[in-house]
Parts: sequence; structure tokens; C-alpha cells
Amino acid sequence: MNVLIVEDEKSLAFEIAEFLSQQGYIIEHAWKKRSAEEKLFGNSFDFVLLDIGLPDGDGFELLKSLRKIPGREDAVIMLTARGSIDDRVQGLEEGADDYLPKPFALSELLARMHAIIRRRHKLEKNEVKVHDFLLNIPNRTVSHGTERLNLTRKEFDIFNYLVLNKNRVIPRMNLTEHVWGDILEINSDSNFVDVHVKNLRKKLSQYSTIDWFETVRSVGYRITI
Amino acid sequence: MKLQHKLALYNTFTKVAIIAIVGILIAIFIGKVSVSHLQNRLVEKRNKLIANLSDAEISGLMQQQSSFTDYNLLKEEYIVLTQARQQEKRSVGPLFTQEQREIDGDEEEYQILTDYFSYGGQLYRLEIGESTLVTRQFEKTILAFTLVVLALSVGLSIIADLSFTRVILAPFYKIIDQKLNRVDDPLQFSFLPEKTTTDDFKLLDSSISTLMKKISAQMLSEKQFITNVSHELLTPISILRTRLENMLNDEGLSPEGQVKLAASLKTVSRLKSIINSLLLISKIENKQFNKANQLFIPTLIHEICEELQDRLAEKNISFDIRLSHEFTATGNQALLHILCSNLVNNAIKYNRQDGMIFIADEYGEKRYTLIIRDEGVGMDAMQIEKAFERFEKLNSTDAGSHGLGLAIARSIAVFHEFPLTITSEPGKGTTASIAFGTS
Repeated sequence: MNVLIVEDEKSLAFEIAEFLSQQGYIIEHAWKKRSAEEKLFGNSFDFVLLDIGLPDGDGFELLKSLRKIPGREDAVIMLTARGSIDDRVQGLEEGADDYLPKPFALSELLARMHAIIRRRHKLEKNEVKVHDFLLNIPNRTVSHGTERLNLTRKEFDIFNYLVLNKNRVIPRMNLTEHVWGDILEINSDSNFVDVHVKNLRKKLSQYSTIDWFETVRSVGYRITI
Repeated sequence: MKLQHKLALYNTFTKVAIIAIVGILIAIFIGKVSVSHLQNRLVEKRNKLIANLSDAEISGLMQQQSSFTDYNLLKEEYIVLTQARQQEKRSVGPLFTQEQREIDGDEEEYQILTDYFSYGGQLYRLEIGESTLVTRQFEKTILAFTLVVLALSVGLSIIADLSFTRVILAPFYKIIDQKLNRVDDPLQFSFLPEKTTTDDFKLLDSSISTLMKKISAQMLSEKQFITNVSHELLTPISILRTRLENMLNDEGLSPEGQVKLAASLKTVSRLKSIINSLLLISKIENKQFNKANQLFIPTLIHEICEELQDRLAEKNISFDIRLSHEFTATGNQALLHILCSNLVNNAIKYNRQDGMIFIADEYGEKRYTLIIRDEGVGMDAMQIEKAFERFEKLNSTDAGSHGLGLAIARSIAVFHEFPLTITSEPGKGTTASIAFGTS
């Protein structure tokens, strides 16, 4: 899958590119509105990560002109540091698929991209094999053989997020943000994520060994597949 | 008191005073004029009498008597002629007096002319009286008429003044209403001048417009500043965050390095939290939120408690929610959620081990009050005052806390005009209550 990153801040664009290419995406960069337009008119992309504040124009305008090209279904995720609700509403109204306020977690970006893929290609295989377990994302279930595990909503969200970001250490904070939303004042020393992870691991380990579900001390968690 | 009423009252007062003075003067003047008319008539009568006097007449008049009295049928005038001794005559010319006289059993007030004259060597004293009844009645009529005119003009002038000042002051009230009261957002201010011919109101209007121009300019620059700050600070933080996240997954990284990177990520996240909180306060204080959402409070509270459920486990805290009213508040949904959530979060954060959080409500005096009480460490009066200040952390050892929770809560409460009060007793717990307005 190819991704166009329209972002004038090069360091940020390169970090996103590094992360996404590790995930198997093919990356192209555009630093300005004009170069982005050239690339968008020449090629179609699976994803366009679009910064709203560009040096030579507005990301919204770019979005508008992209949506006018017939037959194009590039998924657009708006990235903005302005963080206002109006921007979010405007972005979604003008046809963006999602909206991420800066600073966002890379793991969250990946989760959003996967959500868009699932929404758009409903026929794609919906079950992910996680060792002995099967994760069914649209039905929000996890099963072992014929048995379905009884997970809470939060336990499922945590498991799904870690599986999506497989083979990477996911800091606790990213998990909290994903599951509980971007709460302004997170009691980051609280262990309430840990409680849910503990319960999740307990439920999983009733069926098989889960040495692939690691706790990285003082950092977070990692699921290796 | 309204200016309109003050003006009407003042005008009425001055009119009453002027009319009263004029009325009194007229009464006095009429009194004087009528008396002098009477006196002139008396003098004429005396002259006529003396001129027409003859020996025969006088002896006829004085037949057998030393005095002669006559009066007409209605007793409007009378005449008394007596012989007088030389020494009685005191003054030269006629003397006028006003006295009561009894004539034939009826007592009345008369204007009296007394004069002495000689006729045929004999001195006579002549007294002619004329009733003042008619002039008194005339005076009374005039006075009554004046009073009626006075009352009528006072009434008319009040009505006229009130309606006139209302018309004159209409632009003033329009300016106050449209250019001051109804202005929620100075950026939406209408600079069209209000129609008026009164220069003072034109001045007021233009002064308000100038003021609003200044305020809008300041607000715009503040909004601009906020946009800049958020962009200029959040973008580098964004770079840091993604870079740290990528580094965290570098294969060659030692476990110590991983821990340090995770700690740095936390710090970056805290920085983000602080910036976002300050931006939020700033936006609230700039009134960049609408407050027209309808929120059903019991649902809101249950939602918040559900969201915060996970934080209870650490200290084994439990909720005791007793909401007995079905109240719907009008305000900004996101902000009211943050307000209540911050208060409940504080009740969790500062609670004791195995503590309780009581959430109750009251309805009275046209206000619905939500009460959130914990059993935690509590605060003294000085700490309560400080608690609302930015970056004030009380007894908090939580590294994730940045001391902006209550500052945000307060700005949201002020923005919505919902009084937020905090009472507390050290060691026993803290009670926060929000009084929602009813609309």
C-alpha cells in the first residue's frame, strides 16, 4: 500500500515514514501544497496523511481538490496541530476519513489506518491469527479453537491494539490514550491499564501459554507474532 | 430610577412650582384690584351724595334723629350719616377699612369708607359700606379655576414628558441592548451606527464602537497567538513523540535505554497535556465555545463514573451516587463533561484508602446543585483558595498531575455562569458543588 505524507515538517514526516515503511507501506513525501497537488493528480494513493497548515496553503483546499477528481478513493487522514473541534468537524465534513491531533502516537496512526482499511474493504479477511487464538475484529471477538473467550470491551480493545501494533513495544500511555481517549489529565502513574492487561492475560493463559505476550518493565507491552 | 421618570418628575415639579407661584400672585393681584375698585366706587358714591346734598334733604334725613342709616334690600351696601363734633375729625380725606358689620341681624364683611364733611356749619360723619361678598366669591372662583388648570397641566405634562422622553431615549436603550447586552462575542459586533438625532447618543454609540474595535483586535490577536502557540509547540512535540516511539523499537536498544525512552515519552505527553490544558483555558476564557447543548445530568454523571471506574481499584474507592432529580442543563457538552469529570477525578485522586465518593443533587431556589463529596485529605481555607490557581498541586505526589484540573473546572464554571464552590475540612474530605442555572 502506498502512502503520501503531506507534511512540511521534515523531521516529523521522516519519523512517520520510518514507522510506516517498517509496517510495509510504500512512502512518498510532499512538503508543500503545490508539490502535493502534482503528486495527487499524477497518482492515486491508498492513504494521504494531510497536514492542515502548509506553508503555501491550506490542507482543506487540497482535500477539496482531491475530492473533485472523479474515481478516486484515496483515504485521507488529517493531521493538525491546531487541535480545534471546528477543524475536526470541517475536515470530516469535507471528506476526510479521520482526523488526528498532533502530537499523536504512531501506534494510534496505525490503528486508525487499519480501521479505515476495514471499513473500506469489507471483504478482506477479518480474522487475525494470534498464535493459538483468532481475533475477529468486526465481531469484536477472540476465540481459541471453537471456544470464544469472554473479554470485556476494554480487554478486547487492548488486545486488538497490541495485535495491530505487533512486534513493537507499546508504551502504557499509548494504550491508555487509545482505550480511554485523550483525557486531559491522565494519572499516568496509576496502574489502571495494568489491571485490565492482567485480567486479559489471565483469560488468555487459561487456554495456552502466552510467552508471546510480554510485559516490558516500566515501559509497556509487546505481542510478538 | 429611570432617566425618563426622573426627567418627567423634574418637569412636573417645576411646572407645579411655577403655576403655584403664578396662581398665588394672580390671587393677590385680583384681591388688590377688587378692593381698589370697591374703594373707587365708594368715593364716587360719597361725592355723588355730597354733591346732591341740600338743606332740605339733610334736615329730612336727620329729622328727629342725630344719625341716619339706610341700606338696600339685599344689604349689599349701606350708608350711615351722623352729626359729629369738631374734635372727632382726625384725618383729612376718606378713610377705608374692612370690617364686620351687623345689619338687620345679618353679619357680613364690608369695605367701609368713613369721611367727615361740613354742611351748613355742622360737621357730619359719613360711613358708606359695600359688601365684599361678591369680590370674595370672584376671588374664590379665580383660585379654583387656577387650581383646575394647574392639576390639568400637571397631568398633561407628565404624560407628554413621559412619551417625549421615551421617544428621545429610545435610541439610548437600543444602543445599550444591542451593542452591550447582546454582545457575546465582540468579533460578531455590528459597527452600523444606531439611528438617532441626539449627539450624546451618537457619541455613546461611537465610543462603544471604538471600544469594541479595540477588544476585537485584542481578541483576534489572542486567538492568533493561541493558534501560533499550539502550532509552534505541538509540532515539535509531535516530532519528539514519534521519534521517541521509533527509537523505543530500535533492536539494538538496551533495556535501560528503553526505560529511559519510555520515561521521556511520558514527559513529552505531560508537556502535551499542559499545553492542551492551557489552550483549553485560554479558549474558554475567550468564549470560543458555544453553550447551547442540552445535557441530562444523571446520564452525564453515570458516564463519567463509568469512564473513571478503572481508577477506583488502586485505593479501593467506591461511588455512592444518589441523584433524585431529572435535570437537563444547557451548556457546552464537552466542557461540562470535563468540568464534572475533573471534579470526580479529584475526588478519586485525593481520597483515602477505602474511601467513598458521594454524588448527590439538590433542587432549590431556582437552581439545581450537584454535590460531589469525598472522604480524602481535605484542605484548609487557604489551600482551597490556592487550589483554583494554575499549577497548584496540593498533597499530590502524582507525576501525571499538572495542577490545572481545578483551574480548568473554574474557567468552565465561570464561562457557563454556574457557581462552583468548594468546602473542605482537613482530614475529613472535600465537597465540591456546582449550581446549574435553570433555563
